[in-house]
Amino acid sequence: METRSVIECAGLSFAYPDGSIALSDIAFHVEPGESLGLVGPNGAGKTTLFLCLAGVLTANSTTLSVAGLDPRLAADRKKLPAQVGIVFQNSDDQLFSTTVADDVAFGPLNLGWPADDVRRRVGDALSQVGLPGFETRVPFHLSGGEKRRVAIAGVLAMGPSILLLDEPTMFLDPRGRRELMQLLKNLNVTKIIASHDLNLILEGCQRVLVLDRGRIVASGLAEKILADAALMDAHGLEVPYRLR
Amino acid sequence: MTLAFDLPSCPNSLITRLDARWKLAGVLLAVALLAPLTSPGPALSALAGALLVAWIARVPLGWYLRRLGTSLALFTLFLIWLPLVVEPGHDVWDLGWLQISVTGTIRLLALSAKLCALISLVLVLLATTPLPELFKAAQALYIPRIIVHVSLLTYRYVYLVAEEFARLRLALRVRGFRNQASVHSYRTVGQVAGTLLVRSEERAERVGRAMECRGFTGAMHTLNEFATTLRDVVGFMVCVGIAGSLLAWDRLGY
Repeated sequence: METRSVIECAGLSFAYPDGSIALSDIAFHVEPGESLGLVGPNGAGKTTLFLCLAGVLTANSTTLSVAGLDPRLAADRKKLPAQVGIVFQNSDDQLFSTTVADDVAFGPLNLGWPADDVRRRVGDALSQVGLPGFETRVPFHLSGGEKRRVAIAGVLAMGPSILLLDEPTMFLDPRGRRELMQLLKNLNVTKIIASHDLNLILEGCQRVLVLDRGRIVASGLAEKILADAALMDAHGLEVPYRLR
Repeated sequence: MTLAFDLPSCPNSLITRLDARWKLAGVLLAVALLAPLTSPGPALSALAGALLVAWIARVPLGWYLRRLGTSLALFTLFLIWLPLVVEPGHDVWDLGWLQISVTGTIRLLALSAKLCALISLVLVLLATTPLPELFKAAQALYIPRIIVHVSLLTYRYVYLVAEEFARLRLALRVRGFRNQASVHSYRTVGQVAGTLLVRSEERAERVGRAMECRGFTGAMHTLNEFATTLRDVVGFMVCVGIAGSLLAWDRLGY
């Protein structure tokens, strides 16, 4: 039986206004429910790719379909926030409200959902990330791990079918990292995880893309790609400890 | 992290329990009505009223006095000269080497009392209303969206900018920098300010993108949980009524 990919991308390119080319001829697909790893050195274009998929940056491409929507079209871009959630590298960039409840409710309210439904979703999302009862807490006073969970709750409350996680373990201590990995495993959505933490990719993703200087230089099974010492070395990465 | 702009936890009082919208509207109107006061009688009465409100609100005394003192110290620079301005025909106290204007001193008294009253009311509002609720109340009262958004985001990110500044300061210290009156110091301080500005701008860009990703199109929606009771309306009427009466006394003399 043929499964329709939730993300289809071919010939995707993006250049910043100053002319620097961030992405060039990107092609990949993601199946429903799959966890795809995205690895590469700093400045490889991982965040830019996420922003293009979410429709924040408008890319040129021959084919681009995200959850059945085309991020290049203005009408589809409006519908994308309900389908694609991004968890940003630095949670402080994402948590701007003065209480946790307001922050988690921000997205659902923007989608115009009824207040009662939003309250229920806020409670559910916070329970899902293991933070029930945090509604009235001030985001700034939370620990790094808690902030990351609230950021994920804010995205989950919108019920996305695709989750894009940009360096999700950054700024987390080992316990926070472990808890986050467990949480990600339990999330039943399609995920793309961009990270330098190759152990996280190895544990959480079946397939991996290696991105360097805006191009996909390798793709395939995580165990195989990440074990290739020459490939890892050539692109500023290291073979994870488990595969050495 | 505790910074000077941290607000105290709201004390349990009659004023804390009032609806934030009525409280904000009451204080804003009272401030607008009290601001034009010029006579010492109404101004001192306003001060007495504001102090009474602060007492009822059970505002933490140390916090209240520190902020009131700091605000008054800033205004003192402008007010202190009033008794020294002697105008022809005005009564003066002649100290031999110095002439003190009676009218100027009365003006100083009236202005200081009025300022204390206004600052006091605002401090009571801040101490008795959690800030998130205050922003929601401002939005519910149709205060221009841009003002509410900018205030909210400023409050949220001022901590991060302060942290950033503390890190830069530490980085300077460990590299031997000591602030002195020299060109090198001024240049360094300027560079730090510039770095902070650039980093804040970059953060603003990222925050904007994060908001956009969650469907933000310019309108900040909130879960409004306000409910008006008779107590809120009475509190509002008393506050605005007294402020209006003081203005009438000031203008009409009765």
